[in-house]
Amino acid sequence: MKKVIVIRYSEMFLKGKNRGFFERVFATNIERALRGIRHELRRYSGRYLVEGFGDGDADRIVERLKKVFGIHSMSVALETGNGMDDIVEAAIAVSRPFGSFKVETHRADKRYPLTSVEISREVGGRLLAHYKALTVDVHDPSFYIYVDVRENGTALVFGEFFAGADGMPVGTAGRGLLLISGGIDSPVAGHMMAKRGMSVECLHFHSYPYTNLQAKEKVVELARVLSGYTLGKALYTVSVTHIQESIHEKCAPELMVTLLRRFMFRIAERFALRIRAQCLITGESLGQVASQTVEGMTSSNSVIESLPVLRPLVGFDKNEIIERAVKIGTYDISIQPYEDCCTVFLPDYPAIRPKLKDILAEEEKLDVEGLISEALASLEKIDL
Amino acid sequence: MIYLDNAATTGPDGRALSRAREYLTDKWFNPSALYKAGFALQGELKKARSALLAHVADESAFGLVFTSCGTEADNQAVFGYGRRGNVVTTAGEHAAVASSVAELGNRNIAEPRFAPLNADGGVNAEKLLSLVDEKTSLVSVIHVNNETGAVNDINALARAVKQKNPRALFHSDGVQAYGKIPFRLGREVDLYTISAHKIGGLKGTGALIKKKTLPCRPYIFGGGQENGERSGTENVFGIKAFEFAAEEKFRTLNEDFARLRERGGRLWESLDKDIFVRISSADASPYILSISAPGLRGEVLLHMADDRGLVVGTGSACSSHAKNRYSRVILACGADERTADGVLRLSFSAQTTESETAEAAKILNSVARELKSKML
Repeated sequence: MKKVIVIRYSEMFLKGKNRGFFERVFATNIERALRGIRHELRRYSGRYLVEGFGDGDADRIVERLKKVFGIHSMSVALETGNGMDDIVEAAIAVSRPFGSFKVETHRADKRYPLTSVEISREVGGRLLAHYKALTVDVHDPSFYIYVDVRENGTALVFGEFFAGADGMPVGTAGRGLLLISGGIDSPVAGHMMAKRGMSVECLHFHSYPYTNLQAKEKVVELARVLSGYTLGKALYTVSVTHIQESIHEKCAPELMVTLLRRFMFRIAERFALRIRAQCLITGESLGQVASQTVEGMTSSNSVIESLPVLRPLVGFDKNEIIERAVKIGTYDISIQPYEDCCTVFLPDYPAIRPKLKDILAEEEKLDVEGLISEALASLEKIDL
Repeated sequence: MIYLDNAATTGPDGRALSRAREYLTDKWFNPSALYKAGFALQGELKKARSALLAHVADESAFGLVFTSCGTEADNQAVFGYGRRGNVVTTAGEHAAVASSVAELGNRNIAEPRFAPLNADGGVNAEKLLSLVDEKTSLVSVIHVNNETGAVNDINALARAVKQKNPRALFHSDGVQAYGKIPFRLGREVDLYTISAHKIGGLKGTGALIKKKTLPCRPYIFGGGQENGERSGTENVFGIKAFEFAAEEKFRTLNEDFARLRERGGRLWESLDKDIFVRISSADASPYILSISAPGLRGEVLLHMADDRGLVVGTGSACSSHAKNRYSRVILACGADERTADGVLRLSFSAQTTESETAEAAKILNSVARELKSKML
């Protein structure tokens, strides 16, 4: 009798002929998540089994796998021979000593001498004999015992399902570049795209010396937490200090944010193409701040030449975003009070519905290409 | 690197470290032990205690309890002796006292009372005294303000407090004063906090000087070290380094004081008065010069200076919470937000040289002019 972890996956069965590819990526992601823990990963009839791990490692493994997209649920099970004595011994180990229960059996091995119902009845009866304080309740039990009789002469016995992260294996849906700030939204946006199978790299704009090292460290921490889900390996940073200074010097103050965002999008697209990312991802949510109006988005989008800009949070309320941020573990980092964007140059009243004509006129005053190359030259890579 | 953030911490004194080294490598025994090697260290601690005390106080009237830092000593004073009625302190305290006194209020132990400051950061003595009444159990006044260098005349304040309420105890946080400004503790001061790493000692070593007549009120309980006043095995190496660093510091205290007074004055003279205003008064501790560039953000200047090899402190931060942005002490001096936003704290040590302060002035002028031109 040994402990194993059963992994059930989510939507991959939908994928017909691509299934092999999906499963390969999925298995690789599981291996990456379990790096540093001794284990073996095996496939069996539409599931995966993690086995061969140390006695105390089951909880650690489940915790790590909770971040792997594509997993629907997991169970820590006892693997045993398929003889009734073995199955009952495992059931006793899994069972609680009191309360009402129900045994549910799945029998993949159709040659097995007992039917599923007969197995359940036999195991239930012998459990009752072992624990005097147990009662059977087939309608509303306080816990279940599951028996899975497999085709290879073994059985799995377990009592609990742990919810996985669902979604699609990261790496099966291309690669995106997330514009990450120190705020609450962008990490959530990255997480959502990773959930649909996209691998996500992070780009952060800073304006040192107008922002400080703590603010940058905060983004590094956010990217690190996010990389647990997205499998991103690095955070890239670019300084937009000189761009902000130039806008401040030459352009209408109420367009600072609009103009700056257009620079950020241009830089992001060029960098995305360089690292073969196929889209930009932002944490924008409609109407949340002055620059996140549909006019603001139009203005930013109009500088993009070839890539789509994905805004997975566009229809979310702030509290919905916060809820997700709390769940994925980025919220507490995001609310640290360090400014991630320079507020020194921010106008009191930003333009809410900037007109493209005005924006273009202001942009005429700047050496757009020069500023972009200068910013790209400040690129730094921080390994996560 | 030109290091002008000595009020945050000072570089350890090399001579003190080499003298203390044997307590790390050879004499590492537990000073409470009964065998000879351990017991001998009791004598070493006694020497250190007496030497550190003798620099500022009469050994027959005061004792000294070693703690892990100045903050711990402040906590021991506040929680040990501010146990009823009200506790009066100032708006210019270091957080170690300010937060502790506020906590007395949160726990319904004593009512916290904060006296306002004068423009230089010193406490308004009249207002402080008006807060003291027959229910006051403790008064705590910082000796040298850590942000502006303002020196409070603690002996006179303690005397005045005792005239109003003889039963009230008087504590002072002397972390920025000890080893830096000339003074002796008067008889009316009951408790006094000192720290090693502001004068060339090591972080993790502080002490609470206390009147021998005060009852024992430990903050940390355990094996009964320090006569039961502060349990925990003594950090002998840190304490000896403290003793030796203080010895060096006090030997040249008066010369250092006079030299830095002049040097700080010249630094201020060299700064561009179209940009900078002075917050520290002329009679502040010469170890601290607080200035502001109103309209420019202190933290941005700090980063720009840092990139040019000058390290200074600031009273403001790029924080998105207005509450954290400005120094509460600078605001309590009556500064407006523009001034509070632009605060820089230059703090010196005896090792600070004339060429360093001259270079510092150049760098500050240059980064401030540059930032100002960008802000226009």
